[in-house]
Formats: sequence, structure tokens, C-alpha cells
Amino acid sequence: MMCEDCGKNPAKIHMTEIINENEKREYHLCEKCAQEKGFGLVKQHFSLSELLAGITAGQLTKAGQVPDVKCPSCGTTLAQFNTAGRFGCPEDYDAFAEHIRPRLEKYHDATQHVGKTPRRGLRPEGLSERLRALRAQLKQAVEAEAYERAAEIRDELKQLQAPGRAGAREQGRKKSAGD
Amino acid sequence: MTVDDLVRRVGDWLSGKGADSDVVISSRARLARNIAAFPFSTRLDDEGKAELENHGRKALEKSKVVGPGMYVDLFEASPLDRRLLVERHLISKEHEQGASHRGVQIGEDERVSIMVGEEDHLRIQVLLPGMAARDAWGRVDAMDTALESHVEYAFHPEFGYLTVCPTNVGTGLRVSVMVHLPALVITQQIDKVFGAVSRLNMAVRGLYGEGTEAVGHFYQISNQASLGKTEDEIVRNIEVVVPQIVQLERAARTALLEKDRARLEDRTWRAYGMLRHARMVTTEEALTMLSALRMGIDMGVIPKVSMDALNELFVFSQPAHLQKMEGRELEAAERDTVRAAYLRRRLEEAERN
Repeated sequence: MMCEDCGKNPAKIHMTEIINENEKREYHLCEKCAQEKGFGLVKQHFSLSELLAGITAGQLTKAGQVPDVKCPSCGTTLAQFNTAGRFGCPEDYDAFAEHIRPRLEKYHDATQHVGKTPRRGLRPEGLSERLRALRAQLKQAVEAEAYERAAEIRDELKQLQAPGRAGAREQGRKKSAGD
Repeated sequence: MTVDDLVRRVGDWLSGKGADSDVVISSRARLARNIAAFPFSTRLDDEGKAELENHGRKALEKSKVVGPGMYVDLFEASPLDRRLLVERHLISKEHEQGASHRGVQIGEDERVSIMVGEEDHLRIQVLLPGMAARDAWGRVDAMDTALESHVEYAFHPEFGYLTVCPTNVGTGLRVSVMVHLPALVITQQIDKVFGAVSRLNMAVRGLYGEGTEAVGHFYQISNQASLGKTEDEIVRNIEVVVPQIVQLERAARTALLEKDRARLEDRTWRAYGMLRHARMVTTEEALTMLSALRMGIDMGVIPKVSMDALNELFVFSQPAHLQKMEGRELEAAERDTVRAAYLRRRLEEAERN
């Protein structure tokens, strides 16, 4: 089928416009005419390589092109990560999550971890580790003036230090004293 | 156990034993882990790195995962000691060249080493002779699980174990197998093989890991992706790919022997003659000649040297090993003379036995 508008190029864009319940209009246009008519969806049928090129371009640190995202915990910016390819702290992964997924997809063909997971039983040593980590994060969040995040951390700290947990810690102390 | 003890013996992974040892030198599994309580190394100043090292070291001591052995403070260690550990494959080049507080815990038989304060807070590795990827992973896994009761790892439900570089995230696992592929190089099939390997999402590197050259026809084959696959799948992929490469190398060796025995013999005996008689030998020359000799020994065209003795020569003819044996630092030219003398002496001893 040729383009119904110019009749010179093969029609590649086929659209049905619904005007009202009983009235429809079909369009069969070539890319050029479709663009001229202002059908902005012409780029719908992108290729994978175009998509990847777009991602790469997005990662180039041309000023203003990279979204202004900053890790609330360590202060690393997305632009810094894009340049160095190295994260500043574990929190970066959350802060930059939507921006790093395409990168992970490209490198690993996946974004979801399916392997081993820590047992995280929060054994006594594990618990004090967690508390320590949270306190450090709280300090960093306050310094970075990320008060919302700071409040979340404070809540988690409170929860971990709640009386119900004390028994576990006490038990742990006895156990390690016996070593 | 001290670093000096290393030059008085051969690392277990160099024993020349293990499965497929005609082609496979060693198998390694390493896990990258970070401790949740600290920012990544990229955001640690000297003080922070000192604190991290202390923390990591204590956790290693408490967990006893490595067993008897030694801890080497690499900030305090001499450049020569650090180089020796690289030549022994116990630390990475990056860890050797680091500028701040860091260290490594090494097991007595040199199968296990845990780097503290490398790019990631902890790099746990197991190195075994021959094709033993699954065994290496099993041991690393057990150590990791034991360590986990003493440190809290940075872990994310979606991305898995979090690492400084996004190429290591997920399992944090890199399984690599060191292979010796001289016949595939000589018969000009190596590029074809590596093309196929990289299409299978595996990486090929030189003797000392990332960015190093493949001197002496030694290559490391490892998994590229660390995320989205289970550890078992990663190991299984290696277990599928490496034996095929081993088969190709063996076929190429047989073909060489059948079609061009004279050339193969000549190549081997020339290498032997040079190693046995030359008065100055560079590191690279030694590696190249030893590589030719290794293949000749495997194919029975030269009966003189045992594989154990040969493996020792590979490591001990490296600069830091030579200087340690001499007990002093040597200039490059002097090193070549000492290296030649060492090779002559050891090959002469091997001849007498």
C-alpha cells in the first residue's frame, strides 16, 4: 500500500482515528507525510540500537542533560556516578535506582538479583552492626539536610531499640561472654 | 607465617595437580562484599579507611573463616612484599597499588585470601589448582556465610549485594579459570574461540586479571554478568564453556604433533636450550619460553622436567620472587642475570633427578 497522501512512498503508519462512536477515519501514510501532518507518534517503532544509543547519550555528562539527583546519604551526584562509574555508598543504589536500571540491563541483561541472600537473622552482632549503620546514616542525612530520610532512619532506630529486642541483645551478650 | 615464608615453598594452586591440569592451571571464585556500616571506599578518607580495615580485620579474626595463616598490613608492607603477593595471585594489582589503609588475610595453604579495603570492603577469594570452579565457589560460599554473622553486608532486595562498581553487583561473584592455550594460538584459532566465548557473555583476560596482557599464552576466562543469575548458574556456565575450550586446545595440540612434529620439537628444545643456557633472561622471555616448554612436556616431546618443577619456575622467575630469594633489591638488568642463573640452576637440578 502506498501513502494515501503523497502516493510516492510506501505507507508505514496506519492509524485509526475515532471521531465519535459511529465515525472512524483511517490513515495510511508514509513516515514523511505522517510527520508533516503532525502525528507525533511516528517514532513509536524505534529500534533497539536507537534505544541503547539514547541511553548512552543520557549517561554522557553534558551539563544540564543529566537529571540533578543526589544521594541523600553520601552526597554523590548522578553526574559524578556517570563520570566515574563508581558509587559512593550503598544508598546510591536507591537514590539512582531508575537511572541505573538501563545500565544494569545493558551489562547484566537483568536488574533483579536472584542469587544468595544474607540470612539477616539480626544475630546479636548483626543487630549492633545495623544500629551502627543506621546511626552513621542518620548523621549523614542530617548533615545533608535530608530531614525526611533522617526521620525514617530515626524511626527504624527506635524500632530496633524497642524493649522487645532487648532480650535478644542480652542473650547475645551472655553467649559471647562464654566464648 | 610471614611473607618471606612464601619464597620457601610453592603455593598449593601451583601444584600442577587437579582436573585437566594439562590445560587448566587454576580456578578461582571471588565474592565482592561491602559492610553496611561504612560508605564505599570511594567516599572514605584515610581515617575512615583505617577504621574500616580495623573493623574488617576484627570480623575476620572473630569468625576464624580463614584459619591459620597471616594478616598482611599492606599500608605498612614493603613494595617488594606487595609485589610478591600479586605474583602469587593473593592480591590484585589494584590492592597492591592502593594508597591508604588496607590489608589481606591469607590462609596457610594459600588457597584462601580475603582482601580488606580493596575497591569493595571485602573481596573473598578461593584459588584451587586445575578445573575446580564448583569447589572454589562452595568454599567461598561457606566462608561468606560464616562471616555474615559478624558483619552486616550492604544488600538490596532488587540489586542484591551492593558493590562500588555496578559490574559486580548482585551476587558479587566472579568465577575465573586460568587456562594455557599455546596450541590454539599457534594454529591461529584463538580469536575464533574468544569470539565465541564473548558471545556467551564471558570475559577473557590476561594473566593478572583486568587490563593485563596474555603473556605466555595464559588466559583467564570468567563470567561477565554477576546480576540476574544464581551463583549456581554462573558456575554452571563456566563448567560448560571451559571444558569445550580444553577440548579444542587438546585437539589443536594433537594436530600439531601429527602434522608438524619436527617444528613442535624444535620449538620446545629451543625454549629449553635458552632457559638452560642463556645468561640474561627477561620476565617476558622466561614466561614465553616456559610456556613453550610446558606444552612440550605435556606432549611428551621433552622428558626432562616434571610439571611441578616447571610450575615453580613460572612463579619464582618473576621479579619480586627473585629479589626475595636473593634477599635484596635488584636493578632490572641485574635481575635478568639473576633470573637466568636461577633458571639454569633449577633446570640442571631437574636434569639430575
